[in-house]
Amino acid sequence: MNVLWEGFLRGISGVLQIAAIVIPLMIVLEIAEGNGWLKKVNRYVAKPFRGIGVSEEGVFPLVVAIVFGITYGSGLIINHVRSGQVSAHEAKIIGTFMAIAHALVEDTILFMVVGAPLWLLLLPRLVLAFLASYIVHRRGSAALGQGNDS
Amino acid sequence: MQVTGKMVRKGAKAGLEATWELAKVVVPTAVVVAVFRASGMLDSITGFFAPYMSWFGMSGEAALVLFSGYLINLYAAVGSIMALTLSLKDITICAVMLTFCHSLLVELPISKKAGSPLSYIFFVRLGCSLLVGWILGVVLP
Repeated sequence: MNVLWEGFLRGISGVLQIAAIVIPLMIVLEIAEGNGWLKKVNRYVAKPFRGIGVSEEGVFPLVVAIVFGITYGSGLIINHVRSGQVSAHEAKIIGTFMAIAHALVEDTILFMVVGAPLWLLLLPRLVLAFLASYIVHRRGSAALGQGNDS
Repeated sequence: MQVTGKMVRKGAKAGLEATWELAKVVVPTAVVVAVFRASGMLDSITGFFAPYMSWFGMSGEAALVLFSGYLINLYAAVGSIMALTLSLKDITICAVMLTFCHSLLVELPISKKAGSPLSYIFFVRLGCSLLVGWILGVVLP
């Protein structure tokens, strides 16, 4: 019984530490969305993504996935592919990027609470995501041939 | 900038829901790991994985964190971290490895729906995770 109680207490203390960050953060994100900040951010971040073959249309679902998580981003991507706004090749680039780097806010906070350093949680993920997507972009473009690179 | 009561309420509700989801996984995982530890089962698991974990500069105990994160989700990994007594190096390497690759049972099918082949995403994510884990194991003091 003592063992169960100890595990329970340790679990609860972890939950409380995370709750103290997650609840205020969710309120801030809600305010950010209500003021249309995400759309504004989208305009600034579009540039580096162009280099890896992601169009203006593709950046928004990708940014959503990077910030909030794959579940939200995927829904948008599926819609964009179906309506023809994003090509299959581009969907693969976006898929690669968001497989490696998604839910950066939540994942990063979870592990910061238990003591991992912020830069190690963010930097390797973003660097490898850009690198892997770039490789997919180049290989896909080569396979499609000239003129079809979109 | 505009802040309304509705935004605050909606945000607080989302935060509480996330906390509840978290608690549902973190607390049971922490209890299970505590039982593992008290029963001596943790020692056998640890002993078995220790040689493999040393490739990544981690102790055998960290295997439990890695597997709960890979298969279940990051909350389960946090629950394991809470229940164990790991070094900061173990926690850091596990955390960074898990940022690349986690919740595979749930997320792989979702990636597939978004138009990426399952095996491809699996190898990209696990590959990145192992590569970065190995580098950190060598680099971190």
